[in-house]
Amino acid sequence: MGLPLFSAQDDPGPDFFRFAKSAGLSAPQSSESIDLPHATTVIAVRYEGGVVMVGDRQATGHYIASRDIRKIEAADRFTAIAISGSAARGIEFIKLAQLSFEHYEKMTDTSLSLEGKANYLSPIIQNNNLTTPLTVMPLLAGWDTSHKVGRIFEFDGAGGCYERADFATIGSGTPFAESALRLGFRSDLDLEAALELGALALYEAGDNDPSTGGPDFVRGLFPMMVIINEGGFQEVPTEAVAARFKTINDRRTNSGGIAGGTLR
Amino acid sequence: MSNYFYVNPEQLTKDRAEFAQKGIARGRSIVAAIYETGVVMVAENPSASLNKISEIYDRLAFAGVGKYNEFDRLKEAGIRWADGTGYTYSREDVDARALANYFAQYLGQVFSEGQKPLEVEILVAQLGNNIRPTKLYRVGYEGTITDEPMFAVLGGDAETIKGRFAASESELKPLSQTLKDCIAAISGPERTIPVSDIEACILEDRGTRRTFIRLNDNQVSELLG
Repeated sequence: MGLPLFSAQDDPGPDFFRFAKSAGLSAPQSSESIDLPHATTVIAVRYEGGVVMVGDRQATGHYIASRDIRKIEAADRFTAIAISGSAARGIEFIKLAQLSFEHYEKMTDTSLSLEGKANYLSPIIQNNNLTTPLTVMPLLAGWDTSHKVGRIFEFDGAGGCYERADFATIGSGTPFAESALRLGFRSDLDLEAALELGALALYEAGDNDPSTGGPDFVRGLFPMMVIINEGGFQEVPTEAVAARFKTINDRRTNSGGIAGGTLR
Repeated sequence: MSNYFYVNPEQLTKDRAEFAQKGIARGRSIVAAIYETGVVMVAENPSASLNKISEIYDRLAFAGVGKYNEFDRLKEAGIRWADGTGYTYSREDVDARALANYFAQYLGQVFSEGQKPLEVEILVAQLGNNIRPTKLYRVGYEGTITDEPMFAVLGGDAETIKGRFAASESELKPLSQTLKDCIAAISGPERTIPVSDIEACILEDRGTRRTFIRLNDNQVSELLG
């Protein structure tokens, strides 16, 4: 690539996606339907000091394609992006989002607002989902540094962006995770309660949805747990996640495999 | 039919160089220096928002003197080039030398073919790691590219400042000392620049991917001791 200079009228400004398109960098769109690894459960729960996110690690095609993919990534210090749908497009989408936010920051010397980031992603999702069957359904959560509050934004298949005041889930395990969240969510959750509720909801999804990977005690692979608060994006260490899922699992064994007891 | 007048290329080049130098000399200078654990860039800049030093990429920084709109456009092109290259290949394939060469090509082209040469001098700094060395590439208004070994001076008063700085710098020193030397070289013996008029940025490893840090007034005062 040569030096990308533009005249003042054609300048794409701080928008990386527009620049990438004008420079021919973005991936070509395809309308052909291909079976590719997909499926997920990712959960975001608001608590009084921020947002907790939990995501499984499994990519599923006709078989399990991968047991340890990361579906939640830091888009920048205070923002997390999670993906469901096509793994290929999803990972590309995360890369593009990370790059776009950083690009904006370097070009303008200011960060985009959290709402600005959510709105920025809308047309990108729309562009992807309405032109290829490789749909991607992301989830954006972060700490809003100007309003000092954790916020969650979910998107529909056409790129519509909706803010959620309580919790949001994406992926094939949604019905099971959402049910658990609906029963357990309160508006005054503290961090520990939010982590526990998120883990439970993911456990239920992993238990009932064949495309969602629950805790894998054989390989020592566990869902990702992330906290985004005033201190930024932090991943919960694997040992802590393992211990949490072990407790839930033991409880399920002790109850004779009956699900209902876990919320009590 | 229009008439073409013969212009001696030597005269043309001289006139253009003089024009560019005059434009560059109107602005304040910038000093960049390698210190023990990174690269520091210092500019005299009364504006807190119209920056002369900017982050380009994880380990790359840009500094420009002369006409703001002209070097700012080059900075934007640099950011786009770096982000585009890293997106296409890998983040570790973004290299200062390649970028400095593109800047040099462009400046050289405008100098000889454009309506007027750009009145800018720019610097591309790279913080080294195990695959690339720490580098300071200075690119002149006519497209001359120089690989400066320890420090680089941009701007009209470059030779004087270079002399002052060279006297103080023979080996790598800690950041605080290098910053003091840079500021002393810019201000000269008769002047003191208030901290609020100093724009100072560093490239330094701090365990994260991005290494560019813009030092605020408090950090600068603290380093100056």
